[in-house]
Amino acid sequence: MSHGFKQDMPPAGGYEAIKYKRNLPVRGFGGAVVFSAVAAICTFGFWRVGKGNIEKRELKREQAWSRINIVPLLLAEQDRDAYRRQQAALAREKEIMKDYPGWEAGKSAYNSSRYTPNTIVVL
Amino acid sequence: MASHRSAVLTDQPYTDPNPLPSSVPHVDELGVTSAPLKSASFFIGQHCKEVNEDFMLCKQENRDPAHCLAEGRKVTRCAAEVITKIRENCLAEFDAHWQCLEKNNQYFQACRKPEKALNQCVFTKLNLTKSIPGSPEGQAQIHEKASPIFTRVQK
Repeated sequence: MSHGFKQDMPPAGGYEAIKYKRNLPVRGFGGAVVFSAVAAICTFGFWRVGKGNIEKRELKREQAWSRINIVPLLLAEQDRDAYRRQQAALAREKEIMKDYPGWEAGKSAYNSSRYTPNTIVVL
Repeated sequence: MASHRSAVLTDQPYTDPNPLPSSVPHVDELGVTSAPLKSASFFIGQHCKEVNEDFMLCKQENRDPAHCLAEGRKVTRCAAEVITKIRENCLAEFDAHWQCLEKNNQYFQACRKPEKALNQCVFTKLNLTKSIPGSPEGQAQIHEKASPIFTRVQK
């Protein structure tokens, strides 16, 4: 066997296996853990939203009652002012129409005893 | 009020210098701005409940401003009395609370700390408590809640 050739042969022990499988190491939490964590966070969030909605309702109630409590005094003040203006307007009307017999100053345009505020302001 | 034009006068202010007729007894107007009024509202509501209800029932009878002037004077005197009493007894707490309201868009939820001090002071000195009608039974009312979710607008 000495014809000057040396046949190329596999290394001792053979070639190592070809790496064709995916090599992705497992990192982080598993799917079940992530899913349940997200679910837990969402549950907490919605619970808090619910609490906040209840609280908002109570804040609105507080706001409404603080206004209801001061309505009478604001209305009373406004009424005095409206009455003062009405009386002044009536006096003006009397003065302007004094030479006109049969004129009823301050007579409502409506045939009703219900209070009907003036829609026209004479300055 | 059906009218084809709004009662907004842009060219001149709607003023009338004529005084109230002398037949109407004089009462000093409250002269309180919105924030102090809001701060004191629940105490006014509690202390003046009877006169307020009387006035509102009178208004329900007739909407004419001339109809409820006497009741209205009582309402104003009562509210003035409450404001004076609060200012006499709890001036620092009252000022702290309404100034906080003034700086926080008049949100009650932004001013719970000064409100707590004011409520405490008014309760001990004047025996008035803030209570919100219609709040859920058996729970702390919104202004007494230990850890509320809505406090103040983040800046």
